[in-house]
Amino acid sequence: MSADLVVTGRGVVCAAGIGTAAMTAALADGARPAPDVTALYSDAMPQPTGYALVDFDVRALLGRKGTTFLDRATGLALVAFGEALAEAGLVIDDESRTRVGIALGTTVGSLRSSADYSLETLVADRPYLVNPALFPNTVMNCASGQAAIRYGLRGVNSTVATGRVGFLGALGYAANVLRRGYASAMLVGAVEEFTPHTAWTHHRLRRPGQPGEAAAVFVLEPRANAVRAGRRVLAELAAIEEGYHPGDDPAERGALLAGCLSGVLAEAGAEPGQVQFAATTEAWNADDELIGRAAVAALPSARPVRVRDALGDCGAAAGALQFAALLDAGGRGTGVLAGWSPEGAFGAAVLRGRDRAEVA
Amino acid sequence: MSGPDGRGTRRVAVTGLGPVSNIGTGVREFGSGLRAGLVGYSKIRSFDPTGFPHAYAGEVPDFDPGPTLRRLEAGRWGRSGQFAAVAARLAVEDAGIAIDRRDARRVAVVMGTTSGESRLVDQLAAQAVAAGGYAGFDTNELTKLPAARLANAASEELGAAGLSVTLATACSASNYAIGYGFDLVAVGAADVVIAGGADSVCRWAHAGFYRLGALSEDRCSPFDRDRTGILTAEGGVALTLEAMDRAHARGARVYAEVFGYGLNCDARHMVTPNADSIAECMRLAHANAGVKPQEIDYICAHGTGTAINDQAEAQAVRQVFGANPPPMSSIKSMLGHTMGAASGFGAVAAVLAIAEGFLPPTANWSIPDPRFDWLDPVPNQSRPATVRVAQNNGFAFGGNNCITVFGALP
Repeated sequence: MSADLVVTGRGVVCAAGIGTAAMTAALADGARPAPDVTALYSDAMPQPTGYALVDFDVRALLGRKGTTFLDRATGLALVAFGEALAEAGLVIDDESRTRVGIALGTTVGSLRSSADYSLETLVADRPYLVNPALFPNTVMNCASGQAAIRYGLRGVNSTVATGRVGFLGALGYAANVLRRGYASAMLVGAVEEFTPHTAWTHHRLRRPGQPGEAAAVFVLEPRANAVRAGRRVLAELAAIEEGYHPGDDPAERGALLAGCLSGVLAEAGAEPGQVQFAATTEAWNADDELIGRAAVAALPSARPVRVRDALGDCGAAAGALQFAALLDAGGRGTGVLAGWSPEGAFGAAVLRGRDRAEVA
Repeated sequence: MSGPDGRGTRRVAVTGLGPVSNIGTGVREFGSGLRAGLVGYSKIRSFDPTGFPHAYAGEVPDFDPGPTLRRLEAGRWGRSGQFAAVAARLAVEDAGIAIDRRDARRVAVVMGTTSGESRLVDQLAAQAVAAGGYAGFDTNELTKLPAARLANAASEELGAAGLSVTLATACSASNYAIGYGFDLVAVGAADVVIAGGADSVCRWAHAGFYRLGALSEDRCSPFDRDRTGILTAEGGVALTLEAMDRAHARGARVYAEVFGYGLNCDARHMVTPNADSIAECMRLAHANAGVKPQEIDYICAHGTGTAINDQAEAQAVRQVFGANPPPMSSIKSMLGHTMGAASGFGAVAAVLAIAEGFLPPTANWSIPDPRFDWLDPVPNQSRPATVRVAQNNGFAFGGNNCITVFGALP
């Protein structure tokens, strides 16, 4: 990658709590029982547990101003954005606010916001008696727009709806923005909320594990900017590539993904044997298992990085959590993040740990 | 043109157009619709509007993806995905490109949307009501729901193996997609990018815009003093963006060149536009495209027809262009507001203005707004004009502004 991009901050909000330490502790346990979610919603739920951040209180965290009508996805994302800015020590002032951008991954935004809006038109006395204050929540760029308002970010602002590869899509978008010089730093991440809607989606589609929620956001910037500002480099994004596989043969898809991985490793100047950590999409079905095995078959020393057993199935945010876990684990080495969607979108990124990154 | 980082980049041609709209499908029909000032909205048929005070929308009547699609099994995809796939197929056919396995990896798809498969959301809501809870969600709708599937439907239809990304930046999303596509071709990450957007008319957006006071009863009259708002609308649109050298080498017809784009965020309010921020976005777009305001011959407006948008947009134009701005028309007067597809249709209109030498009109226009009576909205009738450079505005909820700039070949 010609523009040398590094990660200098992260903000993680997940079922285990707020902050990277909570996530790290949860992942260290391997598997972790899902919390009781029965008090969270009055609606019937498919099961009494789920990987929700049960005591998440957006007002307590962000104050009353501007938080009254926020949906859960937006609330989670706003906290993650704040944490990422704080860790990087990235100050937003009149000089920087037009040069710091956002790329946020999602599946459909807040399904609760849009579906319940539609539902209101069916059950209200008159179909138009919906709440206008909630209408902005129904658009998929709500979280990134609200983040821009809260943190005063007037630069590039994009919502990347690539679903299960939501984070990789956002990462690719952000890398392009920085490479082209449209921004000096990008806040890149992904978010998924836990609601009755997502819980039932998970249940009805017979997905393994339990549904979860998370928002994870990272500060990505050219190394030169980080060095100039004296920000600590957590890791280097050494390469990223995306593609699509038309058709649905899983063996072919696995081979394509393996090829994509060897391509990004070559671009990063890393040998497959040097890869110490590999985070791949956690399987929904047998096809996914096959694709995942094929993808990492050529990475003999790679230890798998998994988050679902401890933090739930977090949809678009799963890749972002894995990225945070790679940052955690890969302090001295090289890690890869590879993902694919049921439809056939795929991507792979190479992350080089901070010790290597600093001397590079 | 070189990127702001100083590296040399490739020029980007527009070689194919694929509109699927309520005033016509395919570039010829759509183009003659624009010239004729055709109005494409009518009484809502896709859902029962009983109980709504207003009941007009810009639906694409009798949309049938079957005859156009070659690979995609339409029944496995939602309406917005079908719009995207048909638009993509038309854009590729119009460009005369055959995608084979050899170069499929070099063909990417970027689609923009506001609400993705919004009609499926309506269906899920109805299922929840019928079942008395979300347990009533049906797997068919849930499977087709992810917004990623708009771009994926197009990739699948074309057999395109480059990246396949849906950008959900609301009503400027097609311009985001065109901008991203422009970058991908310019830096050599792809040789061809099919870029555009899609959205479907749905019940909940109709209700929401009505409650915001932004929905017109039965007509959209942008820049008119007595304008009353938008009409929700739908459709799909795609542009074939291609490396200029490649287009020339294969003897392709080049409609126009993508000069560049600019994007920024208001960061002030989720739904109220900001004139200063829009003006700044115009300056960013001009700088990226390497043009000066006085070089721009036509502005294809965001022009929703709400009091507040048109006022802010006109004010921003005044700030950037001074006393003599170019004509600025709104094709939403004809199509209604096609949401995530809107700036894609605007791009097609801007490109046709350059290639065919005419200005699309603002329909339903009768009385100048005294606050911007200097504005030439190309009232009611298209007119011949030489357009060397055209600017296409897109603004959105969330304050997501994106403006694309197209130019004639030298």
